[in-house]
Amino acid sequence: MTNYILKRLGQGLLTVFLTVSTVFILIRMAPGDPAVSYAGPLATSEQLAKVREQFGLDKPLLEQYWIFLQQLFSGNLGQSYSFQAPAMQVVFERLPYTLTLATSAILLTAVVAIPLGVWMSRRPDTGREFGVNVLTIAGQSMPDFWTGIMLLTGFAVLVPLFPASGFATWGGLVLPTVTIAILQIALISRMVRREMTNNLAAPYLTVARSRGVKNSVLTWRYAMGNSAIPVFTALGTRFAAMLNGVVVVEVVFAWPGVGSLIVRALETRDYPLIQATVLITALLAVGVQLLIDLAYPLLDPRVRLGKAATA
Amino acid sequence: MSLHTATPAGPSGSTGAPTRQPSPSAVTKADLARAGATRRRKAAQWKLVVGAICTLLVIIPIILANVLPLPDANFQDLAARRLPPLTDGHLFGTDQLGRDLLSRVLHGGQVSLTIGLLAVLVSGAIGVILGSAAGYFGGWVDTIVSRLLEAQMSLPLLMMLLLVVALFGPSIPVITFVIAIAQWPEVARLTRSMVLVEREKPYVSAARILGLHRIQILIRHIIPNVIKQATLVVLLLLAQAVLLESALSFLGAGPQRPFATWGRIISDGQDYITTSWWMVTLPGLVIVLMVVGVNLLGDGLRDRPRRKKKGA
Repeated sequence: MTNYILKRLGQGLLTVFLTVSTVFILIRMAPGDPAVSYAGPLATSEQLAKVREQFGLDKPLLEQYWIFLQQLFSGNLGQSYSFQAPAMQVVFERLPYTLTLATSAILLTAVVAIPLGVWMSRRPDTGREFGVNVLTIAGQSMPDFWTGIMLLTGFAVLVPLFPASGFATWGGLVLPTVTIAILQIALISRMVRREMTNNLAAPYLTVARSRGVKNSVLTWRYAMGNSAIPVFTALGTRFAAMLNGVVVVEVVFAWPGVGSLIVRALETRDYPLIQATVLITALLAVGVQLLIDLAYPLLDPRVRLGKAATA
Repeated sequence: MSLHTATPAGPSGSTGAPTRQPSPSAVTKADLARAGATRRRKAAQWKLVVGAICTLLVIIPIILANVLPLPDANFQDLAARRLPPLTDGHLFGTDQLGRDLLSRVLHGGQVSLTIGLLAVLVSGAIGVILGSAAGYFGGWVDTIVSRLLEAQMSLPLLMMLLLVVALFGPSIPVITFVIAIAQWPEVARLTRSMVLVEREKPYVSAARILGLHRIQILIRHIIPNVIKQATLVVLLLLAQAVLLESALSFLGAGPQRPFATWGRIISDGQDYITTSWWMVTLPGLVIVLMVVGVNLLGDGLRDRPRRKKKGA
C-alpha cells in the first residue's frame, strides 16, 4: 500500500516536472518579448535592457533553466511581472475561487447526473428515455461560453435574480455552476446509463431478482455498487480538469479564479505567473487523481492497491 | 382485391392461423426483445435523419457562402449598425459595425469547419497509427504510447492549448495542430484496445504463417478491420473540435483572417447583449444546430443495428 502510494506519487511528480519544463521551453521558444509588455511599447532600448537584466532574461537559456529549477524546488517562482507580487502568492489568492466553483459544479453534476442516468437505464427504449437522451446530446453540444452568456442575459439582466459577475454573494455562484454543470450532467449521465445498462443486464442481477430482492435495492445497491468505480472515476477526472481552471466560464462571469488569471498572464507574457499557475494546477490535478485511486478500495472491497493487501 | 396468397410471415391482418407456436404467456421474452430492437432501430433512424438535416442545414449554406447573394462579411456600413434580424435584407441583422451577421457567420463557419475537419483528420491519423502500433507491437512501443496518453490526461489541457496559441499566434495551422494534439488520445485509446482483440484472431496467425511482414499484416489486415469504428469516433470528435475551436476563438485565441470565427463573433456581440440579442444568440444557435447534428449522426450510426449478421 505505502509502496503503491509512493510509486504513484513519484510518477505524478515526474509528470508535473515534465509539464513545467515543457512550459518553460515553450515560453522561451515563442516569439514575443515579455520585457516589451512589461515596460510598455514606448520604452527605450536601454529601459528594455534594464528590465531584461532585472528579470534575468538576458542570461543564456540553460542558466535561466537552472535558476528556474532552483526556484522550483525552493517553492518560489519569482515575482509576477504584472502583479508586482510573488507569482505563487498571486495564484494561491485565486485558487479558493476556482476550488469553490469546481466543487459546487461537481456536486450539482453528481446529484443530477447519477439519478438521471439510472432513470434512463431502467427505462431502455421508451419514448421518455429517448427524449432525455436527445436532451443530453443537446446538452453536450452547446458551447459553454454561449450557455453562460444566455443564462447571464436571462437570469441576471432580464430577470435580475443573480449577480452578473464576480463572487460577492453566494448567489454569484449559481449561474457559473449551472453553466458548467449542464455540459457535465450531459456527459456523466450518459456514462452512468451505459454502465448501469450493462450491470442491470448481468446474470447476478437476475439471480438476485429471482430471490426476491426489491427493485430499488437491485438498482442502487447491486447495479450501482458495481458501477460506482467508473462513475466515481469520471466525476473525479472531471473535477481534476476543472481545477485547471474552468477558463471559459470564469472569463464569461468575471470569476476571479485561476482560469481568468491564466488568460491575463498569457496576454501580458507574465512568465513567472504562467509557470506558477501551471505548476500549482498540475500538482492539484495529479493529487486529485491519486486520491481517486486511493478511494477505489473504499468503493469496491475487491480492489487491492499494489500487490500485497493490507488490512 | 385480397387474394389468399398471404405469406404466413406477413404482418398483414390475415384472418387466423397463428404464425407462432402458442406459448404459456402472451408476451414472451423474444417478443420483448424484438419490440426493443424495433424501437432501437427506429430511434437510430430518427437520429440519423434529424442529425443529417441539422448538419446539412448548417453545412450547405456555409459551402455556398461565396455564391449566395450576401454582403461581404467584412464590409462595414456604419449607417446600418445593429439592425435587428429580417430588416433591409439582413436575415440575421447586422453587428455593431454594420456588418451582415449571416455573412459573418457563414464565412466564419468556413474557417471553423476547415479547422475542425483538418484537426480531426490529423488527430485521427495520429491516433490510428500510434494506437494500432501500440496494440499490435506491444512492448516498448506500447509503453511509450500509453505513457503519453496518461501524461496528457493529467495535463491542464485548455491551459496548454491557450498557451501554445498565445505564444505562437492564432494562425489556422497552429490552431489545427493544437486541436489535433488535444484529440488524438481518444482515437489512440480506442484503436489500441480494438487492435489488442484483433491481433489474437486466427486470420492474423494465418497471415503470419503465410510469411507476411508484421507491418504488412497490421496495415493490410488489421487496420481495415478496426478503421470503421475508429471513423465513428472521429465523427464525434469533429463536433468537439468545432466546440473547442469556438472556445479558443471566444477567448481571443482564434484566427482573425480572413474571417473571424464563431467564438469571436459571439465574444464581439457580448457587449451588446442587452440591446441586440441576435448578435450572440443567432451565431450560438448555428453552432448548437451543427454540433447537435453531428452528435446525433454519430450516435445514430453507432446505435444502428448491424445489417449483416456475422456468418457462422
